[in-house]
This record gives sequence, C-alpha cells and structure tokens, in this order.
Amino acid sequence: MKLLIGQILPYITVTLFTLGILYRLGRWAGARIIHNITLSPWLQNNTQVAVRIGSEAFLFRNLFRFDLALWAGAFLMHFALLNILGGHIVGFGFLGEQFALIPFLGITPELSKEMSDLLGTVFGILLFVALLYLLYRRLALTHVKQVTRLSDNLWLVYLLVLVGVGNIMRLVPAFHIEYELVRDYIVALALFQPVVHMELLNSGFFLTHYLLVQILLIVFPYSKLMHLFGMFAERWIVNRVYHDPAPGLPNVDVAAARAAGIGVPADAAEEGV
Amino acid sequence: MPEYKGMVQPVRATPEEMRKIHIEPVPDEQKPQKALEYLDQIRKKFRSFVMAMESCTKCGQCAENCHTYLGTRDPNNIPTNRAELIRKIYKRYFTLEGRWFGKLVGAEDISLDVIEQWYSYFYQCSQCRRCAHVCPFGIDTCEVTFIGRQILHWLGITPKLHASVGAAMEKVGNHTGLPKPGIVDTLEFMSEEIMDEFGVEVEFPVDKPDSDIMYIPSSADFLLNPYTLMGAGMFFTYIGANWTIPSTVTEAGNFGLLFDQYWTQRGNVMRLLNAAQELGVKKIVWGECGHGWRAAKMYIPSLADRPVRWPITHIHDEIADLIRKNELKLDPSKNSKPVTLHDPCNYVRACGLNENMRTIIRAVTTDFREMTPHGADNFCCGGGSAILFDDPEMYQRRILLSKKKAEQVRATGVGKNGDGILCAPCSICKAQLYPMVEEHELGVEVKGLVDLVGKALVWK
Ligand code: HEM
Ligand code: SF4
Ligand code: SF4
Ligand code: SF4
Repeated sequence: MKLLIGQILPYITVTLFTLGILYRLGRWAGARIIHNITLSPWLQNNTQVAVRIGSEAFLFRNLFRFDLALWAGAFLMHFALLNILGGHIVGFGFLGEQFALIPFLGITPELSKEMSDLLGTVFGILLFVALLYLLYRRLALTHVKQVTRLSDNLWLVYLLVLVGVGNIMRLVPAFHIEYELVRDYIVALALFQPVVHMELLNSGFFLTHYLLVQILLIVFPYSKLMHLFGMFAERWIVNRVYHDPAPGLPNVDVAAARAAGIGVPADAAEEGV
Repeated sequence: MPEYKGMVQPVRATPEEMRKIHIEPVPDEQKPQKALEYLDQIRKKFRSFVMAMESCTKCGQCAENCHTYLGTRDPNNIPTNRAELIRKIYKRYFTLEGRWFGKLVGAEDISLDVIEQWYSYFYQCSQCRRCAHVCPFGIDTCEVTFIGRQILHWLGITPKLHASVGAAMEKVGNHTGLPKPGIVDTLEFMSEEIMDEFGVEVEFPVDKPDSDIMYIPSSADFLLNPYTLMGAGMFFTYIGANWTIPSTVTEAGNFGLLFDQYWTQRGNVMRLLNAAQELGVKKIVWGECGHGWRAAKMYIPSLADRPVRWPITHIHDEIADLIRKNELKLDPSKNSKPVTLHDPCNYVRACGLNENMRTIIRAVTTDFREMTPHGADNFCCGGGSAILFDDPEMYQRRILLSKKKAEQVRATGVGKNGDGILCAPCSICKAQLYPMVEEHELGVEVKGLVDLVGKALVWK
C-alpha cells in the first residue's frame, strides 16, 4: 500500500494529469471561433476585457449580480480552496516560516508558524462549511435539484471527505503531521529517491488524504473541474473588444434639406404649417 | 404533430416543403445514426459549442434567469438542461467521461425520442442569450440551440413556419412572399397615408440606381407595422437623403440564423451584397428587426464569400447620431402617452444598441419609464427566434413564454389607464407582443421606435 500510494502512484498521477489537461486544451483549441458572438455592451479595449474576465474569475461578478447566496457559498468555497492550495505549497515549502520572509514586518519564525497554523485551520473549516452549503443547495433548491446529476453531488461528497480527512489531521493532535515530514517526502520524491520507509507514510489519515488527492488529479482533466480552464476559454469567446462602425450618412446635409423644405408641400410651405 | 409523448412541438414542414429549401429528409430509422454524424462534424468546428458542452458546473444560476423556465417551470427549459439534451449524447459518444461513467454523469444513447426532445425544446428557446449574459462562465446556450436546430434541419425536421419563410426569401426576397409590384403599391399607399396624417410629401424610391443609401426594411413593416416603415421614409426624406429600397431584399430578417446557418443564412447574405453592388450604394442601413440585425451586423463579416465594401449600420444608430449632433428638430409632446421600452434581446446583448435606443426614446417621448430589469439585463418577449407558432398547443406555450415580459410591463404602470405604449423595435417582438398584450390585458399598444420618431419630426 505504502509502495503503491507513496512511491509509484505519484509519478503516474503527475503524468496523467499533465497529459490529460493538454488533451482537453488541445480539443478545445481544435474547434474555432467561427462567428463573432461577443456579448454587448461592448468592451472598448483590452484593459476592459482584462477587468471583466478578471472580475468574473476572481470575484465571481455574475454570481454576485444575479444570486447573492450562491455567490457567498461559491466564493467562500473557492477562496478557501485557493488559500489552502497556496498554503500547501508555501507551508510545506517553508515549514510554516513563510511570513517571516516578508521583509520589514518583523514577523518571527515562531509567529509565522502560528499564523500559518491559524490560517490553515480557518480556511480548512471554511472550505468544509462552504462545500456543505453547496451540497445543501443541490439537495434543497428546486431549480438546482433539477439541473443536478448524480456526479455533481458525488463530487461535493468526495471533496467533503477529502477536506474532512485533512481537517482531522490538522485539528486532532493525535493525528497531526509535522511540516518537515511532508517536505522531506516531497523532496525525496522529486529526486526519485526511495520513500517507502519514511515515517510520513505510517499515517493512515495521510495515506487516505493523499490517495484521494491523486485520484482527483487523475480524473480532473475529464471532469467538470476543468471549468478552471474552461471558464477562461469561454470568456475569451464572449468578452472581446468590439467597435461599432461609425454612424454618419453619405451626402446628407440636414440643415440644407430643412432650409430647402424637402417634404413640405409647396402650398403648405407658404402657409407655414 | 403538435405533441409527441407529452412534449409540445411546432407543426413540421412536409418533405415537399423541405425539398424546396434543398433538404432531403432522412428516413426515421436512419435519423439517430445521421444525427450523430452531423453532431460529430459540427462539434469539431464551433468552439462556442464545445465550451457549452464541456465547461458547465451545473450551478443552476441560468434557471431563474430564462423566461422560458420562469413561464413554464418545465425543467427542460432551464438553459443548462436544454443544452443537456445534446450534452448527454455528446458525453456518451465524444467524451471519455461519458464513455467511462455513463449514467453517473448523465450520458445517454441516441434515439428517436431524444431527437424529438430536441425538436420540442430547441424550438421553445428564443435564442435571447440571457443565459450567456448571467452564466458565471458566459456559457451561451443559444449556440447549443443553433446547432441543435441545424442538425434537426439536416435531418429534415424544421417547423413549417421557418421552412416556408426560408423558401419565400429565396423566391422573392422577403418573408411574406410580397412581389415587387405589391411592394411598390404598398409604398405608394404609405406615401398617401403620410400625406393624410402628417401633411408631408414622402416618396419611397425602389431600386433607384446610384443611390447613396440602401435601406433594408423588415417585410412585416409593409403589412403589420406600417408606421415603422413610414417613420423611416419620413426620416430619410427629412434629412434629404438619396436613398432606396432594393426590391430583391425587402427583408431585414434572416431566418438562416435561426435554423440553418449554412446555406440559408449565407444565401441571404450574398443576395444582399448583390443588391448593394447593382444599385451602386455607399452605405447600407438596417431596419427594425432584432435577429436580422444580429445576422447582418455580426454574421455578414464571417459569412460573406467576397469582401464587403459597404459599411452597415442600424437606423437607430443613424437617428441617435443626428439627435446627438442636434440636427433633428423633434417635438416629444407628439408622443405624450406613457411609454416603456422593451429591449429586443438581440439589440442589447448581441449588437450593442442599448444606449442609442435610449437616446432616441428620450428625445421623442415625454413620459418614458424603464422596465426592471432593462438594457442588457432585459427579459425576452418570448417570441424570439420566430417561435411565433399559431397552432393551439404552441400558442398556449407562447402565452406562458411571455409571462415574465407581461409582469415587467405591468410593473411599469404605463398601461394603467389603458393608453400606454409598449415600444418594441423588432419585428418578431412586435409579432409576439401584438397578441400577447391582449392575452395578458396590459393596456398598452405595441409600437416601433422609428414610428415614434416619425411622429415627432418637426418639418418646418
Ligand atoms: C479560476 C478558477 C475557478 C473559477 C473561476 C471557478 C468558478 C466556479 C464557479 C463560478 C462555480 C459555480 C458555482 C458553484 O456551483 O459553486 C464553480 C463550481 C465548482 N468549482 Fe470552481 N472555479 C475555479 C476553480 C476550481 C478548482 C481548481 C476546483 C477544484 C477542486 C473547483 C471546484 C469546483 C466545484 C467542485 C464546483 C461545484 C460546486 C457545486 O457543485 O455546487 N473550482 N466554480
Ligand atoms: S449558469 Fe452556466 S455554469 Fe451555471 S448551470 Fe447555467 S450554463 Fe451551467
Ligand atoms: S437563449 Fe434565452 S430562451 Fe434560450 S436558453 Fe438561453 S435564456 Fe433561455
Ligand atoms: S423577439 Fe425580440 S425580445 Fe424576443 S428574442 Fe428577438 S429580440 Fe428578444
């Protein structure tokens, strides 16, 4: 088990994940933008395009405008997720001392570790709660229920379990895992060194969490999670710069036409209708 | 066949009628197989379609934002579910996800029943793009409807209404089958009407060589919305334009956009370019037609088979420009009844006409009240993409599809005294709303925007 999940599978996962994403992106690129289906009101320049796509991607502008409750749930979920993913990288990378590296703030390594712990705990719980809310929506709101397929619910349950296991490791001291163990493991893996003997892999919770992540990554390119990239590909089609052709009619001089009284019958013109 | 297993459907064109628009209907037993073939062909072309198939998260936001779902509460009228009618097939045959997980992710085998579902639900969508406007990713279910209808068309399944309009367009150059003598007669009659009602001399030049401006009216304006065409004639006369109407294209609409974006739509585009070349015009100005304006403005560049030498603008663009330059003398008190504006979806979400319509309506009316929501957020009238079917089952649907619009109009209060005006500057909106304001007892009269301009012009 340790050999499979800890030593062999990670390489397979990374390969499949990368190839899968390339496959999907290639598929999308193969089809083309045939007609101009930009949505109006028109964006006038590339700055406006960047602001629009950016505010949709990072602030969920449309959800905010049309469904506040969904916005709150979705935004919390994704924001917490983003921070947790970032936290995994810098937290393990710098052993929780990342904030001490920011110059001029005077944060000590100890304080940084505490901050790191606190942030991880808060976002872990937030993510779990937000996922629960999204699942609740799918089961409770008629119109959401009507668009939901079994797999949509399963994804949320899957993430709840994945995040739940992560939270157990963070919140239950008995199952806590030191940052060093993870860092050393990743380094060894990256250097293609044997890792089966490492202490980290003795934790059942870790193995479970890690296996769930790897399965997620393998399936990711073929699943709805590809909306991470799909969102940009779609916006690239409907949010573009467009300039209207200039108005103005050839050989038209309204003042002259009115002075000449065009359209006004000769007799009426004299009477001044 | 207005119903199939409980689903409403528009009356179909007969095989004979399909042949008139160059389609040989596919026999029923071959339909599923052929549908897959066509789908495979088309999905490799249109990225807008691929993205709609592959990046929806089923968040459900589009549901309460589509007037068809609001009016019917039929789950298949939720935009993402409408797309799902094709997506389930697409998944099953063209994605790994669907091949591996099948039912779990909603994949399904193709069958005649599925094709019948397409016919029912792709002809309840009005291609209004409100779903694209509200979707967090911008997924455009209208693109899915386009392609669904295209495949149906190639299979030989097209509503009688759409097929007959396609045939009329090819034969005479307009949707109503009006030949040139009829056009000239009607226009002369309009000149007389204008003289009687407004006391001004307006001529409608037809096929006048060496004109500067070619005006493309909606053919419905000859019969159903005469004041729109009269208003346009008055406007062009007022500004002293050298203009003409081409007898070969007396049609601002292009039903090709709605059911056949290949031959039918392209044929109409080339017909227009031929006319412009023959008459030696310098600019083309479009009349009031929502889908037609979208087809002209956004699709001519990608459908024309030769370079397009003429700038094309909408008559609202030109009127608004002259209003801004203060060149028109207008008397808004000529339109003093309470008026509200129904934003044609194609104008505000696909053509950027939002501001110009408001510039005009503010200049020509005294009691203008906005609907909520309005502009790009507006809801469709329920008739969009010409789902103006008259058979009893579909007509009942139309009433449901216009329910949201009716609520919006009522909320403005313009019809409270029974003398309101609902300005709806699009021929399909007008055709839908004429009967619907009666069905919903809204106390308003439906009018175009150019109608109001014509009335407000001060000639001396
Ligand atoms: C730029 C990146 C991303 C954007 C803009 C984005 C946006 C969205 C939006 C707007 C929704 C619909 C709202 C909802 O149903 O909650 C959604 C749903 C979802 N997203 Fe993302 N997302 C991104 C990245 C990711 C990533 C990396 C994951 C990986 C796990 C993810 C997982 C999910 C899930 C599971 C749902 C469905 C939630 C549900 O079923 O209700 N998203 N995303
Ligand atoms: S709003 Fe967009 S992402 Fe959400 S269900 Fe509708 S089409 Fe899918
Ligand atoms: S285009 Fe309009 S009618 Fe069609 S699914 Fe989208 S919102 Fe509904
Ligand atoms: S008919 Fe009018 S309101 Fe309805 S889709 Fe067209 S433009 Fe929209």
